[in-house]
Amino acid sequence: MRVEVTLAEIESSLRKAARACGLSWGLAEEAGKAARWLAAFDLPGPELMLEHLHNLRGPDYRRFVPDCDASPWKAPGGILCPIVTGAALADRAADLLAGRQVELAGTAFPLLLVATLGQAARFHDTGFSVEWSDLRIECMGHSLRFDGPRLSLFAQAAPAVVCRHQPDAKPGMIASTQAYGIDQAVWRRIEVLAAETYAPATEESRAGAGAGLIDND
Amino acid sequence: MTDCASLNPAPAAAAYRRPPEVVMRLARMGSFHHTRLSFMRVLLRRLRDERWRFARTRWEIDGRGVGRAVYTVYGPAHTYSLVAFAHDLPQHLRSDRVIATAWDATFCLFDGVPDEDDLQRLAANVPKQEAGRVSGRELSLSRANRSVRLWQHVIDRLAAGQQPDREQIDAVGYLVRTTAVYGSGKFGAADRLSICERSELAAPFQAELLSVWLIRAFSIDLAEHIAAVAGGERATVIEPELRRRLGVGNATGLGMAPFLVNHPALLNNWMMAREEALARVRALPQASEAEIETFQRHLEQARDNAALWRSEHPLQQRKLAALRADLEAIANWLEYESLALDHPWERIFRWAERKLSLEGQEQLVSLLLEPYGELVDGLSQCMQADEHQSFFIDGAMPVARLRAIIERQCRWALDVDYDQPANRARFWYTSAEKLEPRLGERFEEAGEEFELPLAVGCDIKAMHAALCDWGDDFSTAEFLLARPEYRHTARRIQNLAKRPYAEIQDNLVGADMLPIDILRCKLSFFGATRFDPRSDRWVRICMYPDAPFPHELLAPAAPPADEAIEA
Repeated sequence: MRVEVTLAEIESSLRKAARACGLSWGLAEEAGKAARWLAAFDLPGPELMLEHLHNLRGPDYRRFVPDCDASPWKAPGGILCPIVTGAALADRAADLLAGRQVELAGTAFPLLLVATLGQAARFHDTGFSVEWSDLRIECMGHSLRFDGPRLSLFAQAAPAVVCRHQPDAKPGMIASTQAYGIDQAVWRRIEVLAAETYAPATEESRAGAGAGLIDND
Repeated sequence: MTDCASLNPAPAAAAYRRPPEVVMRLARMGSFHHTRLSFMRVLLRRLRDERWRFARTRWEIDGRGVGRAVYTVYGPAHTYSLVAFAHDLPQHLRSDRVIATAWDATFCLFDGVPDEDDLQRLAANVPKQEAGRVSGRELSLSRANRSVRLWQHVIDRLAAGQQPDREQIDAVGYLVRTTAVYGSGKFGAADRLSICERSELAAPFQAELLSVWLIRAFSIDLAEHIAAVAGGERATVIEPELRRRLGVGNATGLGMAPFLVNHPALLNNWMMAREEALARVRALPQASEAEIETFQRHLEQARDNAALWRSEHPLQQRKLAALRADLEAIANWLEYESLALDHPWERIFRWAERKLSLEGQEQLVSLLLEPYGELVDGLSQCMQADEHQSFFIDGAMPVARLRAIIERQCRWALDVDYDQPANRARFWYTSAEKLEPRLGERFEEAGEEFELPLAVGCDIKAMHAALCDWGDDFSTAEFLLARPEYRHTARRIQNLAKRPYAEIQDNLVGADMLPIDILRCKLSFFGATRFDPRSDRWVRICMYPDAPFPHELLAPAAPPADEAIEA
């Protein structure tokens, strides 16, 4: 069974889910935005993000940090996290805009990385391209276009990824989804994960917020 | 970003703008009053100026007051309908708490005019509120409970053919009290980004506040309807002058408080607009007789309002006493000083800064804007924010610059010793039971590991200390790759450099922090009045008292059958 969720709900729940999996608040915000950005194209950003977060859970952050001075960027743990790497790429957007091409070694769920670059494209009002395997994607703030098999979009990992500035990126799919259809069981898993950031109720918290349980005046 | 500078009709005002370190303090923000720029007033001005039309398109309520009703407003480009479901709620279930599960009435704001299929779908979901699902056709979801003290009195009187007692009306101020008005993307409702390009919904919270305005009309119609059924031929309706005195109540708690902290770009734009408006008025070299008269009329209204404004909370009682004295002092000033001299508003403002309480000073700010709609109302167009712009981190910024922004704009954060337990006595968290933000006592309660990133000052100071270990020429990108725990704080700091009013300059986890100050600031921007704190973290307010009703402000629409339902 499928349920429809709003983009705001996706952003909020995936942000919390990412936090629950050990990411800092700032990176968790990026994860929420990335899932939302993809869902707006009716692409499975929330589902891929959930899968990635499950894989991410536990290991030390340092295992995922790319060495951005090397080429290609590589993580000590062997596989790059698209949230951490996406944030690092967006933070270095000036390098990309100056014409530098960034090559990445093995990267988990590369589509999630495209989401971060898509947002950078919107901010800088330009386009970026990302290539892996037999796929090439051009993204702008509100549009995404790919050449290659659709299935490759959802790859769990790519051995090599190339990112570059693409000022002449052509428009493609338009971000227009308002209500994103998602499998109910998957959404439930996201919500369960998000709920790990909530504090269990205590007597103090029950007493603290309102004036009283019945308020009949 | 909108280039507001080029549109500024009063560039001389810049010299009169109050600096953020004066404005962005909780004690002052917690003394704000509604102004011409408050979102309720922005909404009603637009409806009036654009000649929107109004119709009660459906009324299917039985003698017990149970059923459904639809109120529709027709604008130049879009039509919106309040869909109301009236219920028969047992007394013991009536709760103001956001966690309640049943209400006297439930509502949604529908995009267009709902047909029977829409109404069936909404009837299956809206009464359940959080436990139901709405769709992208709905822009807001809300509910309200009757004020038991006033509701029965009004119905009994009207049923007997008498008018309700004016003092009782003034003592409560409303027939129903909303307990939550949800908007953007909540529970399936339309996301703000999908509607914010409509000019009438561009300003903040317009859909939610349109709902509340129509709920007010519904609440009185419902009371008159029940009275008419009970009283038969004897029954009467409430006189227009008395009717106007009724607003809609609202009970708001901690859940709303983190909003201003989580939306720094928006907070900046609200504050900036308000401060710019004040600066424009202070910069005026002269005041005309008509302008002075308008000011005096609003001063009288403020005195009436202060007299009607009641609170049982000692904190607010003290503030109210000061406010009443301050309003007297302003009236006295007007007797002994002259507004005919040069820069009259600057003179009274300077005097007020020296002599009045914060309540009185901020009341004066609101009053000063009243005569100057043409000069300040346009600023309401600068109060939304493109939050995408403020989310982006400039990774190329040198670490030295990040540090310098903190040192220049965040003394309020650096000067606090967070090792003192009192300075980090609290922590914000989301409660699993209520799914709402709450405030815990760090050294007394469990759950600190669930802390939300709202200890802004503390985080800024910690990041500053970490930055001091880095050479000046390292980039923000390099710093954040190594120290991801500061990413959300770096975002705030870079935002603050461009938006000086983006941060509350107080310790949000200190032992003496009053959440009601944050609530009052936000609610004043909505246009709320008569703040009545019930504790340090929970406040009741009144919305739209004395405002015109839809049938008074707007011309009647043609019967609904003549209106095409919008695609």
